[in-house]
Amino acid sequence: MMNAKAEAFKDDLAQQPWSLYLTQTRRLTVIELRRNLVSWRASWIYFLAFVPTLIIFIHLLFDSHPQSTMSDDSNVLAGIVQLYYIRLGIFFGCLGIFSRLIRGEMIERSLHFYLLAPVRREILLLSKFIAGSVSALLLFVTAIVADFVLMYAAYGPAGRAYILSATGLAQLEAYVAIAVLACLGYGAVFLLLSMMFRNPTPAAMLVLGWEAINPVMPSLLQKLSVASYLRHMMPVSIAGEGIFALLTVETEPVSGWVAALGLLMLTAVVLIYSCYRIRKLEIRYTTE
Amino acid sequence: MSVYKHDYRAYTGEVTPLWTRVNVLARYAFSEAWSSKITVTLFTLSLAPIIVFLILIYVANNPIARALITRGNPQAFAIDAKFFLKVIEMQSWCALVVTAWIAPRLISFDLSDNALPILLSHPISRVGYISGKFIALFSSLSAITWFPCLLLFAYQGYSSAEHWTAANLPIAFGLLVGSLIWIAFLSLLGLALSSWVKWRVVATGVIFAAVFVPAGVGGIVTAIMRTKWGFLLNLPFIMSLLWQRLLGAPEFMRSGQSIPTTAIVIMLGLACLLCIAMLNARIRAREVVRG
Amino acid sequence: MSDRIVFEDVSKFYGEVLGVNRISLSIPPGITTLVGPNGSGKTTLMNLMTGLVQPSSGRISVLGLDPGDATGFFRNVGYCTQFDSFPRGIVGWQFVLDSLMLHGMNKADAYKLTMEALDRAQLGDAAGRQIAGYSKGMRQKIRLAQAIAHHPRVLVLDEPLNGLDPVARAESLALFEELGREGMHLLISSHILDEVDRISDRVVLITGGYLIAEGNIHQVRQEVRDKPMQVLIRCDHPELLASKMFAINHCVEARLHADGRGVFLRTADIDQFYSLLNGIAVEGLVKIESVAPADDDANAIYQYLIGSDGSAS
Ligand SMILES: Nc1ncnc2c1ncn2[C@@H]1O[C@H](COP(=O)(O)OP(=O)(O)OP(=O)(O)O)[C@@H](O)[C@H]1O
Ligand SMILES: [Mg+2]
Repeated sequence: MMNAKAEAFKDDLAQQPWSLYLTQTRRLTVIELRRNLVSWRASWIYFLAFVPTLIIFIHLLFDSHPQSTMSDDSNVLAGIVQLYYIRLGIFFGCLGIFSRLIRGEMIERSLHFYLLAPVRREILLLSKFIAGSVSALLLFVTAIVADFVLMYAAYGPAGRAYILSATGLAQLEAYVAIAVLACLGYGAVFLLLSMMFRNPTPAAMLVLGWEAINPVMPSLLQKLSVASYLRHMMPVSIAGEGIFALLTVETEPVSGWVAALGLLMLTAVVLIYSCYRIRKLEIRYTTE
Repeated sequence: MSVYKHDYRAYTGEVTPLWTRVNVLARYAFSEAWSSKITVTLFTLSLAPIIVFLILIYVANNPIARALITRGNPQAFAIDAKFFLKVIEMQSWCALVVTAWIAPRLISFDLSDNALPILLSHPISRVGYISGKFIALFSSLSAITWFPCLLLFAYQGYSSAEHWTAANLPIAFGLLVGSLIWIAFLSLLGLALSSWVKWRVVATGVIFAAVFVPAGVGGIVTAIMRTKWGFLLNLPFIMSLLWQRLLGAPEFMRSGQSIPTTAIVIMLGLACLLCIAMLNARIRAREVVRG
Repeated sequence: MSDRIVFEDVSKFYGEVLGVNRISLSIPPGITTLVGPNGSGKTTLMNLMTGLVQPSSGRISVLGLDPGDATGFFRNVGYCTQFDSFPRGIVGWQFVLDSLMLHGMNKADAYKLTMEALDRAQLGDAAGRQIAGYSKGMRQKIRLAQAIAHHPRVLVLDEPLNGLDPVARAESLALFEELGREGMHLLISSHILDEVDRISDRVVLITGGYLIAEGNIHQVRQEVRDKPMQVLIRCDHPELLASKMFAINHCVEARLHADGRGVFLRTADIDQFYSLLNGIAVEGLVKIESVAPADDDANAIYQYLIGSDGSAS
């Protein structure tokens, strides 16, 4: 009985027009990317991503760089990633990008065009998520890599040597991994929030608050936070100051792999639930 | 129809003066803002800290309670400029949250429903429109900032020794002026951002982002350039400095790190000008689409 | 595959509000018009058909397809909605092309079909401009173009003539007629029967969420005409008017208005009634102030739907 069902399911899977799905995903992604990245309305997200880069660039041009400040600058960079990108840049960037995907289309009353296209709703949702992730990743990963390179390039040969050294590369790798996971994690959470609430911002603010107080929570609750996984992956730990002392309370360190897996699992679960929700979605713009 | 039957006449009766029409807008904005349960909830929550402060003042002025709690450390519980600085900071954060919720309700609905052309085709100017909304927002915010702050001050004056009020009048002045500056700025900022992004959902997020993101950017500037001027972008921070000076509380920054009041005022002025420019660009009865 | 659109006892409630109630229909190929006043449930019915909303009860099948299987369903169905909004920042032809590309066509085919659809919808030069800057009629046309571009077998059009000028109206009607002749299923909604009855094979009358008549246009018209209808005429000599009308029209009942300055007349042939009334008015013996249908039951709605003003028949 069980076997027959499994067989039927397998047949069903095999019969799906996968190549069509792939084409559709690609085209939806292109449409979304065009709107996410190539328009004046998207300029704010470029701003969010590249403001630190710009500042570092100005620093590179105008300030002197005695060798002694290099480790200082490493700390500053770690601070930028942990305190600016994760808490502000990627957070608000993803909030904007991902809540626009479904809720934004509902507000603009254009979602029905997608639902009337010959595209399965799951494919639609996943494509939109992919498009959102690609835009967020493209911007933030580029920005972080640029930050890193510009920061050390200022130190001449010594800086260049550091960039290419094992420690430098490992550091860069960790930052990129953190950015990727942050985009995916926040992205999935905000996509879901935006499908659940008419105005996802208050909920997102609660998430922000939760992420901020999370480090002092019992370790079980810490598993429910995006930033706590990311904190364990930081290559350079920064000393807390003032309110940010809260952020650096260390509890049972988690290895990088576990953290990454945990976040990916979180993303997957949220996406599956979102697929379920979009199947039930009705177009009722009047209630917006 | 015969010409003599043309008895249509345009209205030539009395009309009310302009300011009452602004009042009409303000009244509608008010009811719009307060029609949501969340507004009421937020408002109530914003008054909760006041209760706590009230209890603290009571305890500080009651010898028995004071003795019970402070256990011979008389300095721990002074009601002074520092205490009121905490009060005004707390209420200002609440005001930010309330603005982020209310301001988009006032403007974004009009924009996304394309109601602006209809509203502006009435004998009301763009300035009148903004003023109406501004009044509604400003008075809502007043109710959670300077008004309860001054009540707290009055209560402290009433329950402590006679000379306290006279000696501490600058605090009351600081509370009033500091709150007025902050909520006037917040109202302007809230209205400008909501008019710019058109959708309420986004506007709430943008108002928060507009306060936090520049603060983060300012932090980066400070750290990288090793200068203190980055703090100028950190609105909550410079406002705290301003309040501290208005109230006459002790400086909390090291002297070399501190930022002069002139710089703060110029910064706030620039931000206000930017907001006004944004409003001027967006509050119009038409929208031209390029292409 | 069935060739009918079937509604089986379909109801839809929006919370407390009734959308449509217990609709059963079986629609063959050709042009079917859905006529009803504002808020009667036309859009709801169309949204139900295309899966944009789910029925509270009952079943719907469009040529045996199910909107849950979007790939198969929307290849065969085109829906021009009443929602007057578009994706942001997009140019007319790009909008149509994007939607075609989602079908999985290659670019050349999609481009060809786009041009054909734009041509059919008579959009002209506007196709190269931003949709956000379109006039109401242009928006209506681009939506029509998007709905017909992929050559669907079923075309659902929600008030497609809204906002069009008389020339564009005539052109659109001609297009619908042509598509109907080619064997497409067309479901068109409208407020005004007179506007679409020339081209439709069948009409479905709906009001307040209830189906009140359906079938061949002539049958429905006749059915309505045969039903005695009550009209209130306010004039200065009601008795005189009543006696005149009784003499020449199939009036079945007359009743004086309480204030003596009007008369209720019930007639079996409303069209003739109106033209006779015009004659009497021209004679000038009776000074008529106003004429209004006086039924508050379904008849009044029929009256509205059929839009009899004496010119019909
Ligand atoms: N999203 C919704 N929420 C609540 N009620 C709704 C919703 N959509 C439609 N209704 C109600 O369902 C009924 C039918 O509406 P529908 O839009 O189908 O009418 P319609 O015949 O298309 O009218 P119109 O000619 O004005 O387009 C109305 O009473 C309407 O108020
Ligand atoms: Mg409708």
